[in-house]
Amino acid sequence: MKKIVAIIKPFKLDDVKEALNEIGITGMTISEVKGYGRQKGHKEIYRGAEYVVDFIPKIKIELIVKAEQVDKIIEKIREAALTDGGKIGDGKIFVTPIEQVIRVRTGETGKEAI
Amino acid sequence: MKEGLRAKREALENLWRQGLSGHSLLEKHTRLLDDSLAHDFNGCPSADDMALVALGGYGRSELFPFSDIDLMLLHKNTDENQLNDVAEAVFYPLWDAGLEVGHGVRTPETCLSEAKKDFFLEVSLLDARLLAGSRILFDELSSKFRHTFIEGRRREFLDNMLTHRLQRHQRFGNHSYLLEPNIKESRGGFRDIQAMLWTAKVIFGLDGLASMEESGLLSNDERHKFEEAWNHLVKIRNRLHYISGRKNDQLHFEHQEEMAAAFGYKESQEALAVENFMRDVHSNLQTIAVRADLFFDHVEDALHPHQAKFADRVLEEGIEIRRGKIHCDLNLIPKRPQLLMRIFSRSAATGLSIHHRTRKLVQDNLHLVDERLRNSRRMSGAFLQTLQAPANPPAVLASLLETGMLAAYLPEFQHISSLAQHDIYHVYTVDRHLVQTVSEVHKLAEEKKSIFTKLTAKHLLYLAALLHDIGKGYSKNHSEHGAELASGIGERLGLTKTENDCLTFLVREHLFLPETAMRRDLEDENLIMRCAARIKNPEWLAMLYLLAIADARATGPTGWNDWKAALLKELFLKINNLLERPELIASDQYHDADRIREQVKSGLENTKFDLERLPNDYLLSFSPEEIISHILQRHELKKQQVLLAAENKDDHWSLLILSQDQPGLLTNIFGVLTLHHIQVLAARIFTWTDGTVVDVLDVAPALNREFGDQDWQTLNNDLKKAINFQLGLSHRLDKMLHPKGSPVLKTVPREAARVKIDTSASDKCTVIEVYARDRPGLLYNVTRTLADFGLSTYRARIGTEGDQVVDVFYVLDYQGQKIDDPEFQKEIHQSLLHAAS
Repeated sequence: MKKIVAIIKPFKLDDVKEALNEIGITGMTISEVKGYGRQKGHKEIYRGAEYVVDFIPKIKIELIVKAEQVDKIIEKIREAALTDGGKIGDGKIFVTPIEQVIRVRTGETGKEAI
Repeated sequence: MKEGLRAKREALENLWRQGLSGHSLLEKHTRLLDDSLAHDFNGCPSADDMALVALGGYGRSELFPFSDIDLMLLHKNTDENQLNDVAEAVFYPLWDAGLEVGHGVRTPETCLSEAKKDFFLEVSLLDARLLAGSRILFDELSSKFRHTFIEGRRREFLDNMLTHRLQRHQRFGNHSYLLEPNIKESRGGFRDIQAMLWTAKVIFGLDGLASMEESGLLSNDERHKFEEAWNHLVKIRNRLHYISGRKNDQLHFEHQEEMAAAFGYKESQEALAVENFMRDVHSNLQTIAVRADLFFDHVEDALHPHQAKFADRVLEEGIEIRRGKIHCDLNLIPKRPQLLMRIFSRSAATGLSIHHRTRKLVQDNLHLVDERLRNSRRMSGAFLQTLQAPANPPAVLASLLETGMLAAYLPEFQHISSLAQHDIYHVYTVDRHLVQTVSEVHKLAEEKKSIFTKLTAKHLLYLAALLHDIGKGYSKNHSEHGAELASGIGERLGLTKTENDCLTFLVREHLFLPETAMRRDLEDENLIMRCAARIKNPEWLAMLYLLAIADARATGPTGWNDWKAALLKELFLKINNLLERPELIASDQYHDADRIREQVKSGLENTKFDLERLPNDYLLSFSPEEIISHILQRHELKKQQVLLAAENKDDHWSLLILSQDQPGLLTNIFGVLTLHHIQVLAARIFTWTDGTVVDVLDVAPALNREFGDQDWQTLNNDLKKAINFQLGLSHRLDKMLHPKGSPVLKTVPREAARVKIDTSASDKCTVIEVYARDRPGLLYNVTRTLADFGLSTYRARIGTEGDQVVDVFYVLDYQGQKIDDPEFQKEIHQSLLHAAS
C-alpha cells in the first residue's frame, strides 16, 4: 500500500478529481494549503505599494492506494495537473509506503480497508 | 422500578407518535417523572427532614424528551450515610433508565453560596419546585433565596442576565437567521424566552405571560403571537429530540428535511419544502428575539430612569435624544412620513439605538411608505446615509430589517425575507446575509483603507452589498435577475445613469472575482486580460474586490479563510496592474481574441494556417484584415530572410517588417533605419509562437526631406546585409552621427533618462521600460544594449510623446527565463541608462 500526496494548483482540482474518477479512484482527502518551492513568492504592486505574496495557495490531495495502482494514478494526476507547456509551480507528487490501514467500523485491515 | 421508568418513557414516545405534542407532551413527561421520583423518595425510610426539588426546565414542568433532569436533594446537615441511601434510591433509577441527570445534594446555605458563584444555578433556582419531602425546608430555601438574590438586587440581576444573554448570542450566533439554528441557545430560542420570563419575575414580580399582559407589558395580540411562536418551537424541539434520539437542540440540515416532511410542508414554485419550513422557523425565532429585545429595553428604562451618556436634545423637528435613545414624535409622522427613515439615519449617525416605542411606531406606520415616498429624494438621501454611517452599523441595519422598514422601502426585500438557502456554505438567510454584508463593508473600510479611501462613489459599494443577492429565490440566475432589480431600485433612489451602471455591474458580477480566483489559472496572462476587459475600470474592480470579500465573510465561518483571501488578492492585484497600464491592454479596441481568430479564419478561406500560432495580444492589436495580410505575406517570406513593405499614410509611413526571430534583429532594424535618416515614431513588435517576427513601425524622415521619395529598395538591401552580418552598422552610424571634425556637441542639458525593470507586470516576461529624450540612434543604442546582454525581445511597444520616447520591452534572458537576479537587473539598468542618455 502506498500513500500518494499531490500538491497542485487550485484551479486544477476539478481536472485531477475527474481524471482519478475515470480510473475508479473516488476517495481522497483534499485540503487547502499554502507554501512555496521553486515558484517562490512574488511581489504585486498596488498604487505604488508593494504586496509581497510569500506563500502561494495550493491544493493538497492525499490518497492511500494499492501499490500496483500507483504508476497509473501518478500518470493521471500529472497529466491533469500540468498546465499548458508546464510551468514552475505546477506542483509535485510524493509517494510513501504505508504500513497498515484499518477501517474503524469493521476492523478490516490492509487492502480490504482501502 | 428501572424497567418501569424506561417503559413509561417508551409509552410516552408512542403517545407522541400518535400525535401528542407541544406543551401537553412536556407536561405529561413531567408528571410521569414527578410520580416516579416521589414514589422512590417517599419509599425511603431515612428521607425525613429532606426535600427533593426540581430545578430549571424540569422545575418549570417543561421537560423535553431528552432534556437533563435537574434535581436537588435538600437537607439539613444530615448524616452522610443517610444521604447516600436517599441519593441512591432517587438517582439510580434515573441513571438506569438512561436519563441525563443534573444533581446536587445541598443544605439551603451551601445552595445559596454556590448560587452566588454560579449564575446558572441562581436562575435555575428561580424555577425550583418541590417534588417530595419537607415543605418547611423548601420554603426556607425559597425565602432565603428571595432575600439574598432578589430584594434590593434587581439591578445586579438584570446586568448579569444581559451579560449572559449577550455572551450566549455571541457563542451561538447573534442571529435568529442562522441556517442550522440551535433552537435552545441561539437568538430567539428557548433561552431567550426564559431570560425574559425570569427577568419579569425578578424585576416586576410577574409570573408568566398572562401576568405580563395584565400589567400592560404585552398587548393581547403580542402575547398571542409570542405564544404561537413558542408553541411552534416546542413542537420542533420535541421532534428534534426524538428523531435525534438524544438531547440535541441544533436543527441540522438532515433534521430540517425530515421535519419539513413531517409537518406537512410542500415544495412551492420558488422554494423547496424544507426552505418553506425553515422560513417559518426563522420567523418564529425572530418573533421571540424582537419581543425579548423590546422587553429588555423596557426593563432598562424602568431601572435606569436617569442614566444617560448623551444629553437630551432635539436633533430635528420630530426626532430627539432622550435618555440616550432616539425618540420620534408620533403626531408628526403622518404629515412627514420621511421621518420613518430619518430615525434610522439619525441612529446611524449618532450610534444611539432607537427606543423600543419608536421602533414599534415605525412598525405600526409602514403603510405610509407608498410609491411616492419610495421615489422621494429626501428618503433616499436618509437611506443612503443610514447605509454609510460608520457608527455601529450592525445594530442599525438589524433594526431597519426587523422593523420591516427595509422591506417596506425596498419591496424587493419581501421576496427574500427569511429566505433560507439550503446549502452547506450559507449560515444566514438571504436578507440577513445582505445586511451582514453591509456590515462587513464597514469593517473593510478600516482594514483595507488604502483601497477603500480611493473610492469616489462609496455609497454604490454599500448599496451593492445590500442588493447583491436580491435576485435570489426566483429560479433564475440570481446575479442577472438581481442586476435587473437593482437597476430599478437605483432609479427609484435617484442614482445617475453612470452610478446605476456601476451598481448593476457590481450586482451582476459579484461572483466573477471569487469564481475566477478559485477556478482559473491566474498565471495565464490572457485570462487576466479578459478579466480586465470585462471590468474595464480600476474603481469598479476595487469595489468588486471589496464586495467579494464582504460577501464571503458574511456567508459563514467556512466562506472565508486566508487561503481564499490569497487567491482573490492575487487576482485583484493582477487585474488592477493591467487596468492601471492601459498600454498593456488597449482596452478601447479590445475584442475577444477568439472571435478575431474566427474572423481571420473565415477571411483566409483556402489558405492553410494554424491560427494557434498567433498570440492573443497580437490578435488584439490589429484588425482582422491586417492580420490576414500579415499571414499572406508570411508565406512570401519563406523565400527570403526579411520582407519589408511601406505604406504611405500622408504624414508618415507605416512599415511592415516580417522576419524570423534572431538575436539582434531589432538592433539591425533600428540601426539601418537611422542610417537612412528615418525616425521611428511608434512601433508595435510581436513574435508569433513559430518565431515569426511582425514589426509594424510608424516612421517619418528625420531630416526635412521631401516626403514620399524614400528609397525603400536600398534600405531593404541594407537590412538584409545587416541581418547576414555583412554591414558595419556601428562604425557607419558613429561616422554619421558624430562626423569627424565637428566639435563634440555640447548637448542641451536634457532630462535624465529613466529605466524601470519590472518582473511582476507580466507573468511570462520581464518588462523593461525606458523613458528618454528622442534623438537619432537612441533606439539602436537601447536595443543593442539589450542584445548585448543576450536578452530576446518578444513584444515591444514604442511611442513618442513630444520629444519623449517611451519604450516598453518584454524580454527573457538567453535561457528563456525571467530576470530575477537583482545584480543582473542592476547591471542592465545601468547600461540602459548609459545607452539612453
